[in-house]
Amino acid sequence: MNNTVKIGILYSTTGPYAEIGRDARDGADFAIEELRATHGKAIEPVVIDPHAEIAAYLEGARAMLRDHGCRHIVGTITSLARKEVIPLVEKHDGLLWYMCPYEGFEANDNVIYTGGCPNQHLLPLFDYLIPRFGRRPYLVGANYVWGWEMNRLARELIEDAGGEVLGERYLPLEETAVERIVLDIEQRRPSFILNNFIGPSSYAFLAAIRALGARNPAFLPENCPVVSCDLQESELPHIGLGVATGQLCAAAYFDTVATPENAVFKAQVAAKFGSQRRISSVFASAYASVKLCAEAIITAGTDDPMAVSRLLSAAPRPTVLGPILINPDTRHAALPFHLGRINDEGGFDIIAAQPAIAADPYLTRRRARPPEQLRVVS
Amino acid sequence: MRETPNFTGWRATILHREDNTTERLTRQLKLIGFQVTVQWQPLDATDLPDIILVDADQGWDGLLPWSDENAPRPLVALLGSEAPGRIAWAMEQGTSAIIAKPLASSAVYPALVMALGIHRERKAVIDKLNHLEERVRLRPLVHAAVERIIAERKVDEELAYTILRNCAMRRRMPMEQVAASILGGAEPMPEAG
Repeated sequence: MNNTVKIGILYSTTGPYAEIGRDARDGADFAIEELRATHGKAIEPVVIDPHAEIAAYLEGARAMLRDHGCRHIVGTITSLARKEVIPLVEKHDGLLWYMCPYEGFEANDNVIYTGGCPNQHLLPLFDYLIPRFGRRPYLVGANYVWGWEMNRLARELIEDAGGEVLGERYLPLEETAVERIVLDIEQRRPSFILNNFIGPSSYAFLAAIRALGARNPAFLPENCPVVSCDLQESELPHIGLGVATGQLCAAAYFDTVATPENAVFKAQVAAKFGSQRRISSVFASAYASVKLCAEAIITAGTDDPMAVSRLLSAAPRPTVLGPILINPDTRHAALPFHLGRINDEGGFDIIAAQPAIAADPYLTRRRARPPEQLRVVS
Repeated sequence: MRETPNFTGWRATILHREDNTTERLTRQLKLIGFQVTVQWQPLDATDLPDIILVDADQGWDGLLPWSDENAPRPLVALLGSEAPGRIAWAMEQGTSAIIAKPLASSAVYPALVMALGIHRERKAVIDKLNHLEERVRLRPLVHAAVERIIAERKVDEELAYTILRNCAMRRRMPMEQVAASILGGAEPMPEAG
């Protein structure tokens, strides 16, 4: 390839989900740096920060596709931003690389999904929780499609299991007044708490549950864990080290995943960011997505989205998340499941894992779901 | 909140000339769990699939084996045209959702869920309407039975009606049926009070 190929990087580093956006941006930048070292100027990023403004996402994506000649955009964190950007990507026949865990019920030809949908995070999480903690959870979430849909699915899983949802409450993004919800939780005594809050709401909630557990042992993590599907290593210092210790989170990747690939990756990240830097799943996923995208373009000799997609579906490609194969129909990556327990050092101890699960974004296999095959590792 | 629809194993038929639209639609339907047939000829009335998607731009009368808007299966119109005549045709066939052409894959699942929901609601309304029509049709019997009770028990109309209603409640039968039984002599004349 003679010409430089431009790919768009579209992440917000400010706003309610700033921690996640900064991590994603760091992961993408790190991949670009590595690509420069190995491939020179074959790939050039066009980086735009929409600062959590939906209109700016649209303007940014339009500029990338129309003015800069990008055919690939790695980006968007929220489903709102993704849904806004997709029609533009379709119009320009581009490819959007979306790498966050999301609520599913989407499979777009112009998107590659590497972040996981509910059968890759929520379903195995509940398979683990229900036999161990019970089937009377309390559901909380951001007043937004992620919270609504995750809690709606959780309610179905609980009803299928013959259980009962003891409460379901929402807070606006960035709202930190969690006291009334925590009071209600104390009175209702759930088996566990599904936390679909985002950012500052989530941090305030975890701190309040910590205080509740201190005065009432029924709410210590070992008795009534708070479980999430999107908490990142980079967020733990904002919650406060030790504050959320013992709480659980599902993810395709944790800093602590013990694979040779991850050991190499961690050494590379440490050389750049220092050995204190914990790698989060969004950092790893953004990094893996940029690398997958760029390497497929280089291998294909073109940035034609069809050619790139065909390569990604032809054979698994090694990534820090493990070998990644994109299903040509769902456009989703098969992803491993890890269950992490927050430790005092700002990381997650992996307490259960499952090998790569094929994505089922419309949950067509749910009624005929095979029995639990979770491998408990500690 | 309604439960997540699960279309796994359902049969869908696309009535549309095979082209890029049917190809993409087939892919999306399979993803959602359907077994898909594409054809551009009238549907067999004796072997209807679970859901039907029809090209409303070019569909003709007789493509669907029914003649009014009471479609026996959920029907989705694939519509690129804005011509009122084509929209009217789609409605006359009993369409309960539209997927606009050119096809956006994100339009498919919502349209199917809505078509199914509206189809079920329509069917429930029709069933209820039939039931009520039957009762209205039999209303003269109730009136006749009330007249008979007034004559035989020497009570006013209000009390006669109450007697008949209490009798129906005791027998756990609709009033129309009790009235018919009384008039036909199968049921003894109920006592007053």
